[in-house]
Amino acid sequence: MNGATNHLNFDAVVVGGGVAGGEAALNLASNGYKVLLVEKELSIGGKMIMLSKVFPTLDCAACITTPKVSEISRHPNITIYTGSEISNINKIAENNFEVTVVKQPRYVVVEDCTACQLCEQACPVSVPDQYQYNMVGRKAAFIPFSIASPKAAAIDIESCVLCGACEKVCPTHCIDFTQEVQTLQIDTKTVILATGFKLFDPLMIPRYGFGMYKNVITSMQMERELAPTRPFNTVLRPGDGKVPDKIAYVLCTGSRDATVGNPICSQICCMYSIKQAQLLMGALPMADVTIYYINIRSFGKGFEEFYQQAKGMGVNFVKGKIGKISEQDNGNLTLRYEDINEGILKEADHDMVILSVGVLPNKDASAFFSQDELQLDPYNFIYQTDELVSPARTSIPGVFVAGTASGPMDIPDSILSAGSASSEAISYLINGQ
Amino acid sequence: MEIEKGKTFKYLKEKREVSQQAKDGLKEFNRIKKAILDALKEGELTVIQLSEKLNMPRPEVVYYLMSLVKYGFVATGEVDDMDEYFTYKIKQ
Repeated sequence: MNGATNHLNFDAVVVGGGVAGGEAALNLASNGYKVLLVEKELSIGGKMIMLSKVFPTLDCAACITTPKVSEISRHPNITIYTGSEISNINKIAENNFEVTVVKQPRYVVVEDCTACQLCEQACPVSVPDQYQYNMVGRKAAFIPFSIASPKAAAIDIESCVLCGACEKVCPTHCIDFTQEVQTLQIDTKTVILATGFKLFDPLMIPRYGFGMYKNVITSMQMERELAPTRPFNTVLRPGDGKVPDKIAYVLCTGSRDATVGNPICSQICCMYSIKQAQLLMGALPMADVTIYYINIRSFGKGFEEFYQQAKGMGVNFVKGKIGKISEQDNGNLTLRYEDINEGILKEADHDMVILSVGVLPNKDASAFFSQDELQLDPYNFIYQTDELVSPARTSIPGVFVAGTASGPMDIPDSILSAGSASSEAISYLINGQ
Repeated sequence: MEIEKGKTFKYLKEKREVSQQAKDGLKEFNRIKKAILDALKEGELTVIQLSEKLNMPRPEVVYYLMSLVKYGFVATGEVDDMDEYFTYKIKQ
């Protein structure tokens, strides 16, 4: 863990351990460069590792992510810091960056943890599980999720009551409450920003009732309900544990909506909603699924066929804009919407509503740089200074962007973008020699 | 302070106070856990039945019940004839 050393050298620092950052790190490492991968969460794998399946192939997301993540973890040229954030990046000269990383204590010596889960069983505390989007609890001593990497326990110190039960049962004595915050100085020759995106928070649209009506959930919560490592035994309404049979999707929640400050299309919501609709029809064969949309944007390879397949399976597509969602006494929901084709207002009842939340920029990266300015585009994604010729280039030479940090895109495009960023970073490293 | 392996929590206890929120949260969880497990001792119940019996909002029952399933205290029973509500029982 390099805990004792506080000045380290790497060829490249990759910020963000999601699918794009992981791919970029792997490409650099496979070409012989020493890479530091910095991830703020307790596990690498980003948002993809939380997904059920991917569109349009319906491949299991975990089955694709897990081998990749373990390849990244095992690679001799990659050092991973989880639970760590960049506090500063200073460009001294070309091929010479100083990076300050703040590493939060995990209170567990990762190398010694066998993921036996005895600490989890012993811990008396239960708090909402952020990795299940708060639909179920987790302990204060916990393994983030079953396919996490590193698969090791961590202590949520804010919720911990310091009872010592976890330490008492730990067979390898890997729990260590003496760990402290570490500030590490890194010298590197290039930086790749793969800081990803944030999901739109539907609390910003109070008329949809999210937060107030428990049977209105986000698409990411439904993604968890459909995943093999799901929070419930099957797909259930969080409001009363009922197996839903009339499910509605509200597309463009927080996308293409200037009133919430995000006028652009998120590019992935149409397809992930169609994917979830198909998975729901598989999980709940008697269920009716309706997708309320403005336009279906099935622009990628195999997307239109995937859309037609959903229609063929009986998914109901309604071109309609939702005005308001209200709750009935039994927890069912009434959707008031404008039927765009007919130009009239209509109402429909559903017993569960999924808000297909959009992609928002993660603005963290611009604050990393104290000397140089990392330019953002008009929508606050990282600006690509030469998008057509050299798409990974940013306003700071030697700093490259990979994946959704530069704008909404799906998983294959994120991986392509990471390929481009790592290639450009390698060229930059070679030119600097 | 001397640090003893396997008892390092004592070290942190000297340095840091446990938040009132964490203490209250633990008390609340223990209270609800006991209430749910006591209610299920008499037989299998659905979320709605538990909610009525414990006078507790249904979404809260779902959250705590599913947590107890995850922690291994409660098991999922059968679904009703309408395929709508599962029952839940004490895990043997």
